[in-house]
Amino acid sequence: MPYLSEIQNRKILGPGGDEVAKLADVAVVPTGQFPPVQWAVLATRAGEHAIRWSDLVSETGHYRVLVPLDQVLEAGLPDDALRLGRDLMDKQIVDTHGAKVVRVNDLQLEEAGGQLRLVGADVGLRGLLRRVGAERLAEGIAGVVGRKLPRGIIPWHLVQPIDTGNAANVRLTVPHAKLALLHPADIADIVEDMSADERRAVFEQLDVETAAETLAEIEPEMQVEIVGDLDEERAADILEEMAPDEAADLLQDLPEEQREELVELMEKEEGEDVEELLSHSENSAGGIMTTDFVALPRELTAAAGINRLRELKPDPELAYYLYVIDAEGRLDGVVSLRDLVVASPDELLAQIMDPHILKVEVDTPKEDVASLIAKYDLLAVPVVDAGQKLLGIVTVDDVVELMLPRGWKKRSLRSIAR
Amino acid sequence: MGPGIITGFAGNDAGGVTTYTAAGARFGFALLWLLLIASLSLVIVQEMCARMGAVTGKGLSDLIRERFGVRWTIVAMLALFIANASNVVAEYAGIAASLGLVGVPPWASVPVAGIVVWALIVFASYRVVERALFALILAFIAYPVSIAILQPDWSEVGRGFLPTMANDPAVLVMALALVGTTVTPYLLFYLQASVVDKGIDRESFASARLDAILGATLAGLFAFFILVVSGTVLFPAGVPAQTAAQAAQALRPLAGEAAGLLFGVGLLAASLLGLTVMPLSTSYAICEAFGWESGISHDFRDAPVFMGLVTFLLAAGGAIVLLVPKEQLLPLIVVSQAVNGLLLPIVLVFIMRLASDPSVMGSDANGRVRGTLGWGIAGLTGSLSIAYLVASALGIG
Repeated sequence: MPYLSEIQNRKILGPGGDEVAKLADVAVVPTGQFPPVQWAVLATRAGEHAIRWSDLVSETGHYRVLVPLDQVLEAGLPDDALRLGRDLMDKQIVDTHGAKVVRVNDLQLEEAGGQLRLVGADVGLRGLLRRVGAERLAEGIAGVVGRKLPRGIIPWHLVQPIDTGNAANVRLTVPHAKLALLHPADIADIVEDMSADERRAVFEQLDVETAAETLAEIEPEMQVEIVGDLDEERAADILEEMAPDEAADLLQDLPEEQREELVELMEKEEGEDVEELLSHSENSAGGIMTTDFVALPRELTAAAGINRLRELKPDPELAYYLYVIDAEGRLDGVVSLRDLVVASPDELLAQIMDPHILKVEVDTPKEDVASLIAKYDLLAVPVVDAGQKLLGIVTVDDVVELMLPRGWKKRSLRSIAR
Repeated sequence: MGPGIITGFAGNDAGGVTTYTAAGARFGFALLWLLLIASLSLVIVQEMCARMGAVTGKGLSDLIRERFGVRWTIVAMLALFIANASNVVAEYAGIAASLGLVGVPPWASVPVAGIVVWALIVFASYRVVERALFALILAFIAYPVSIAILQPDWSEVGRGFLPTMANDPAVLVMALALVGTTVTPYLLFYLQASVVDKGIDRESFASARLDAILGATLAGLFAFFILVVSGTVLFPAGVPAQTAAQAAQALRPLAGEAAGLLFGVGLLAASLLGLTVMPLSTSYAICEAFGWESGISHDFRDAPVFMGLVTFLLAAGGAIVLLVPKEQLLPLIVVSQAVNGLLLPIVLVFIMRLASDPSVMGSDANGRVRGTLGWGIAGLTGSLSIAYLVASALGIG
């Protein structure tokens, strides 16, 4: 089980046993699960010389070419070939398992089916130690204290290089399709470690829904950068998919011109919701509320109400409280999902609703909203204007940050350099 | 404010102010020529780092690792670590010296500052603190204002730009410190990281370049003011600037009795800011190079190396300062900056190799002019370091 760092710089002997070159690098075409090593790049006095791997014979401690080197066919590397040492070693890689960005310390190769194959990326301490020739020593020391050095190898089939157009810029990541299988909060963690270019690439390739959920998990300043980097159409699509209050928070931080342009590009309905939210102060109930809520007219029967819910298919967190409004849109009361289901089908909502409802005005400071929600253990509280018209709701998610002690959320260090 | 201007400001930290004051007090205007070269070097090198950040989208330690492999990365990171650790020591010394002005002994000020900064890094928002400290650093505006009051003899000042080396063994350390504090290795890493973080790319690079150049120029100008004020007030009077009280005398013509307070507030703010940024940026660079999890977390298990490094720097730096007698605090700062100067050539060689490499920088690699200038700077700082090492080996320095 050789590692790349162990075979790099090995001697290449000619047929006569004299040293003709050193092994500089090996190359694969990154297709399939564990791609075979197909080329060897030799460092000779005359410069680099690529030959086919099969022209080399492996012997203990060195390799041998069976014919004189100048008779070995020069093999041009195809464009899609990856040189392991130059293009992969020391580069960054996304570890989807731990949801973090790590570095390739070494590459693991394995003889399988008569071919040397690339089987894994060593991202652990062992790889690092091996590169400085201290793996055995460290192993010995660890052995003395009765510990084992941990291995940190990511199997190659979980890894895929991405090409950002510049050969020196090949970075590794799991395929975006695999990235999308992660929880948006994990994707957000990974994205925050990436460079601006890669961030844009990820947000262009994720499906709109995942992109929206991921964007919502990213810290506000980086959100603004990402949206600024994206193509406007795409940015508008993602914003539409976000909860209106989150979209509005994000838009709030953009320059006015760009904000208007994006709202313009959004679907009419979502755009209007967001515009409405943007008109309220950031620190008031109006600024943090969402316009996604379920409001049912008071003269509806319980059966008709359930039918309406079937049509609306509201998100789970919006379905706990169903608000009852009159013909002018004024808030009259609230019905819980349970009340609605257990009521007899022809009872009117006006009869089963609870008319004593806690609500806040649109300009109530957000801290007050938070303490109200905390005090009464609410999942959401409705927001009304001066005329009692129902405008939106503030859910516990929207204020949870205000209720936590300061600095609770893990902050990324990158924010200090801004 | 862009990253360049911020780093330009941050460059005038405890090490900078102390070194410029000490240089003026000891040698008058005689080292101004070196300061000019150092400032021009900063402009050139800072532009390179900003350009590297914009073109590659990667930090300096990232690029060093990807281009030169593990062994060279260890060399570079060791140099950065030692330089920054000595900066941490300098920041603590600045805190001890400035609070010493109002009678707070180091055994009280140093541990308290260390614990407060550690808690601040871990629990509070860094940026609030940053703003507050920046406001306090404005106390150093006192230096350019002092110039107007002092009316220094400009022909004297002008003569300082003629390259001369005083016949004094201490001049080499001072020269090294002057270069090391102006072109601090830490600043270069920090600036490039900020450029990458802001997502500045080739298209938006023009303004970032201007920002980097402007910031470096500003830093140089400030250094010039401090050195001239100190050279005008302290040098003729023979005040050595060994203690904060002596260094503060430079501001006496402007502030009179309040000079100590003015200098003390500025030094304290600069030191506290440095003490917050330095451990963070060191750990960040190192973790980035080796692929260890980085980021501030309450839980050491999330980012053990990162949090361990931050904590170690804060604890060890404070401990070293406590071992030094009170009247040696400012000289200790000058020595710490000389360590930076000593290690700078190592970092510069990496920067030059990277910024001149078309396979890294594409068409934005250093051309002949910038290449020559950059290698010239590396050569100059390198020979200064070697001169110092040889001199101290021979027992002259």
